[in-house]
Amino acid sequence: MDAQLNSNILNLYRTFGDNTPLSYKGPIDDHILQVIGTYIEGLLKHSPKAGKKVFKIFIELAQNISYYSAERSKLANNKDIGTGMVLISEQAEYYTFMTGNLVKTDDIISIIEKSEVINSLDREELREYKREQRKLPPGKKGGAHIGLIQVALTSSNPLDIEVNPVDEEHSFFSIAVKIDK
Amino acid sequence: MENLEIEGSHKNFFIPTVSFNAKTGICEISGESFLEDTVEFYKQIIEWLERYIDEVKGPIAFIVKLSYFNTSTSRSLLDILNLLKDYEDEGGEVVVNWHFDENDVDMEEDIDDYIIDTGLDINKIPY
Repeated sequence: MDAQLNSNILNLYRTFGDNTPLSYKGPIDDHILQVIGTYIEGLLKHSPKAGKKVFKIFIELAQNISYYSAERSKLANNKDIGTGMVLISEQAEYYTFMTGNLVKTDDIISIIEKSEVINSLDREELREYKREQRKLPPGKKGGAHIGLIQVALTSSNPLDIEVNPVDEEHSFFSIAVKIDK
Repeated sequence: MENLEIEGSHKNFFIPTVSFNAKTGICEISGESFLEDTVEFYKQIIEWLERYIDEVKGPIAFIVKLSYFNTSTSRSLLDILNLLKDYEDEGGEVVVNWHFDENDVDMEEDIDDYIIDTGLDINKIPY
């Protein structure tokens, strides 16, 4: 056994602590979506309103990873699936839903710009922005360009975005959203 | 003209239940919508409506009872509503009844956004 690796995973486990009911890193395909989705539905039965919001946010952000992550996994069924991280943490008054994945640095500017626009708008303006963007022709995979806008609307909180360069071509893009209980 | 019937399911993806009647023009979509290929799924619904408008030329009552849909679906729903609005503008008889959980503020906002977007009269029916 590699003691170093084992103590690393213990540290990781402790870092997450008791208030991280869910953490996942790996390819996000439809089965994973279902397993985590069902888990969220069960976990949040005692707070249905927040639960539904966490679920909606999970679907949008997880689908973004599955479609757009720069890190890809080839599954046995030959499907090419985006890889990333999904984390839920629970505090007394709110949940935080987080995702992180690699993005090509060339693509990152437009994501940051869009996030900044979203965070600068009030609710009415955000709804108008959503209606505007939804009228555009569908994106890759039939996307509606409004996933991040919907996440901000659903959570009623700003998007907490961070970008860290990883190598010359890639950056790690992370997003955290607060959902009040 | 055949009816359009799709049985919904809640497995890896959420397929809504679709029941479109070519005789009565009552077209209901219910359940949840989160699909692997949203555009492909809604294409068959839009094509059915286009055929109905073209051949039957009867009234359409579009009944929506979706408790959840993702943003890709929201775009396809907009396409359906725009089609119904065009039909109404050409003299077709169109009624849209949208049922929603009265506690679901986000869903009510979504319906309001569709009213603004399409200019259709959508009856909001809380339950």
